[in-house]
Amino acid sequence: MKPKINQNIVENFLIENREAYYRLAYSYVHNKDDALDIVQDAICKALGSSKSLNDPTAIKSWFYRIVVNTSLDFIRKNKRLVYVEDEDLEVLGPSKSDQYEDFDLQQALEKLPTMSKTIITLRFFEDMTFEEIAQILDQNINTVKTRFYTSIRKLRIELDDIAEFH
Amino acid sequence: MKKLYDLKNDYLKVQIPDELEFLVKKSIMKKEKNMKRKRKFLTCTASVAAAAAVFVGTINISPVAAQAMSNVPVLKDLVKVVTFREYHYEDDSHELDIKVPQINGLENSELEDILNDNYIKENEQLYKEFMEQIGNEDNLNEKYFALYTDYEVKTNTDNLLVVANHKTEIAASGYETVHYNNIDKQNKLLITLPSLFKDDSYIELISENIKSQMKEQMKADEDKSYFLENDMTDSFTSIKEDQNFYINSDGKLIISFDEYEVAPGYMGIVEFTIPTNVLQDVLESNYYIK
Repeated sequence: MKPKINQNIVENFLIENREAYYRLAYSYVHNKDDALDIVQDAICKALGSSKSLNDPTAIKSWFYRIVVNTSLDFIRKNKRLVYVEDEDLEVLGPSKSDQYEDFDLQQALEKLPTMSKTIITLRFFEDMTFEEIAQILDQNINTVKTRFYTSIRKLRIELDDIAEFH
Repeated sequence: MKKLYDLKNDYLKVQIPDELEFLVKKSIMKKEKNMKRKRKFLTCTASVAAAAAVFVGTINISPVAAQAMSNVPVLKDLVKVVTFREYHYEDDSHELDIKVPQINGLENSELEDILNDNYIKENEQLYKEFMEQIGNEDNLNEKYFALYTDYEVKTNTDNLLVVANHKTEIAASGYETVHYNNIDKQNKLLITLPSLFKDDSYIELISENIKSQMKEQMKADEDKSYFLENDMTDSFTSIKEDQNFYINSDGKLIISFDEYEVAPGYMGIVEFTIPTNVLQDVLESNYYIK
């Protein structure tokens, strides 16, 4: 009976939180079709291994770990320039002058190593705790924290550089 | 730092495609169906192969072995359920997968004809409704939905054949139902729940037993949940007179509830095995229920 319950909990979670993990997948590939592919792939993996979810209260970090890994796999397999959809170009592009800085920060974020980028994304955009992030990335919590603060410094430095350049 | 929070807004503003919901539900359904099929296939081959190996040696020696053998599909008897017809349809936003079962081998039986006719009619109706709903090529309905039906032989013993008909509809949310036909193979009868009992006191006996099973399960496992609060309007009070049920190969009565009927959606379809000693006093006989 237990696996069946797990299965149902996972299914419910997948349906209820679809927008959140879609956004996470999207943040890696920046286009709709690839993000949907990742979502589909991650769901299959999750349902195939729902037995490995020992503690149903940890379902979020359990599934996000699958999404992150699936996204990274996807990027590795499709090694090419990550492309940006038209609508994003409009938002990020130079049409509004005050968007310039955001665009640079976005660029800086994209330039970070994938693990650092994932940490920033989960911490700031998904409001996850360091502990959850450590579980998702299968890393020591201190490693995650160190990475996080290094990345923050890096982003600032890069921004300062850009400011000087202007 | 503040700029990062602006980035967060961009992140949260990412447009959610309309097809996401459908894709998620479809992926879940597909995976579920594949797993079911895989399991069924594996258990089938394993038991048939094992039975075939010992079959020649034991069948004439021991009557016990012969009887045990009769529970193994394929080697058993001639009554079986096959796929009579399949419907399939798929476009970007709709999917239909219908399997029409057909019962074979209930010799010259009116019951077999009636049941098979019903299976065909019901599924044809579902197919027709589905195709009307999606519209035609010039005027395709843009709402996402899917419909799947499938069948399963739940019990197949010397006396009994139980065919389960599963139906799953996915639209705003997924909804799964199942209906059982309990067939007496010898007497060519369709068994109804009231026909098993002397009078209608079974309704209360079974309901009370289910309630205490629900309580026990919730106590033992906090992941489980049933609608059992006294002050809730839609909480479970009693089974229906003709509640969905089937008899398993051990002769036990299983009461089945559709998704959402007595429990939140994540519990799916729920079943309760009713101990025979609870029912013994009101049972018509022990022919089916043992």
